[in-house]
Amino acid sequence: MKAELSKTSDGDLLRAVARGDQTALAGIYDRYRLILFGLVMRILHDRGEAEDVLQEAFLQVWRRAGDFDEARGRAFTWLVTIARSRALDRLRASASRGRVATEAAQMPHDEVGDAAEDALRSEQGAIVRQGLSDLPPEQRQALHLAYFEGLTQTEIAARLGDPLGTVKTRMRSGMIKLRELLRDKLGDLK
Amino acid sequence: MDDHQQYQDLLALHALDALDASEKALLEAHLVNCAECGSALVEWRDATGLLAHATTPVTPSDELRARILAATQAETRASQTAARVVQMPVAPRRSNLWPNLLRIAAAIAIVGLLVGLIVVWRRDVVLQRDIARLTKERNRTADQLIKEREALAREREALAMLNSRDTKKMELAGTQTAQNARAMFVYNPQTGHAMLMTEGLPATPADKAYEVWFIPKGHTPMPGKMFTVDSSGRAMVSGEIPLEARANVVIAITLEPKKGSLAPTSAIYLGSPSS
Repeated sequence: MKAELSKTSDGDLLRAVARGDQTALAGIYDRYRLILFGLVMRILHDRGEAEDVLQEAFLQVWRRAGDFDEARGRAFTWLVTIARSRALDRLRASASRGRVATEAAQMPHDEVGDAAEDALRSEQGAIVRQGLSDLPPEQRQALHLAYFEGLTQTEIAARLGDPLGTVKTRMRSGMIKLRELLRDKLGDLK
Repeated sequence: MDDHQQYQDLLALHALDALDASEKALLEAHLVNCAECGSALVEWRDATGLLAHATTPVTPSDELRARILAATQAETRASQTAARVVQMPVAPRRSNLWPNLLRIAAAIAIVGLLVGLIVVWRRDVVLQRDIARLTKERNRTADQLIKEREALAREREALAMLNSRDTKKMELAGTQTAQNARAMFVYNPQTGHAMLMTEGLPATPADKAYEVWFIPKGHTPMPGKMFTVDSSGRAMVSGEIPLEARANVVIAITLEPKKGSLAPTSAIYLGSPSS
């Protein structure tokens, strides 16, 4: 079963999960635990909280897999959106207790990990990371503030002290490059 | 830049959840009807998801995997137990339970909807009936008020006439035809204004009415007002005496066809002493 699982597409795995197949859920977990846990850690900076959130996210996947619709986006997007939303909810709850926000703001950028962790990355991840590292730093910074801290365009402009129009333009330019990356590099990988 | 282009520009930031509330609301309203923006948004969301790759992958603890699988197993057991409890009286196989429940729920919903419609429709009918009844009652009350005002005005008029020094009074007596009838005729010889108050006249048949006749000396009777009486044979009529009949007033009352006659056609019911 393990060998078969590794060949099954994300969409098929999610459909199996929707039918109550726990092996399929375990397959999804094994396939994406590193990137999803990395994402949740990047948002929360706390291992204990990140593990709680990842557990909540996978319970949501278990319960709601029937809602996944391939016509409305990639399975990867669906999974990442659940994990990110859960983590941002937790972040906002913690931020209201005045803890994580400042810590997050002081974190150095982590585009370049150490060699041992790099070895864990998928081929797809490597391509995307390369593309992301090609973004101009100010575009990347604006996108990261939105994606990892859940800030709106106005909050980002205030945080950076830049005009709102400039911030919007940077974010749009960055997003257009991400979309090109998706179109050019990932089409063949699916 | 047209409106649609403007929305297209918002899509990328919407996929990042970075729009401010007002722009977000505008775009979401547009998305309801714009399939093109909807499918563009799907691609922007997929592009946004790539940002997850910007993080350093981190290995969660081995316990987490076991915890997640145990939690899902516990949920499955709980839902299966719940399903069995509901299922037993309904269907022998679990796979039939949900479609059946859905069918039953749909049937209940449709029946509920129909009952709701019937209730609303019946309430509407009842309300319309109430409105009609209240309108009729109001009209009736208004009619009654008008009648009472008229009666009051007539009584005042009668009182004024009776109290006037210029007014003359004449009693009319019932004839053989209406032995219990009597009447008071009051009038002002100068102005010709007159009032007749009767009682004891036989009830007025539906197609008939009483008619007042003025009989000037040496002339044929001149027709006056038509009137009907109440259950006691009472009526109060006011009118003018024709100029020719004012000098020496003689009157008579007969029962005539409802539309009135030009000359009396029946026996006299009431008459002035000299008629």
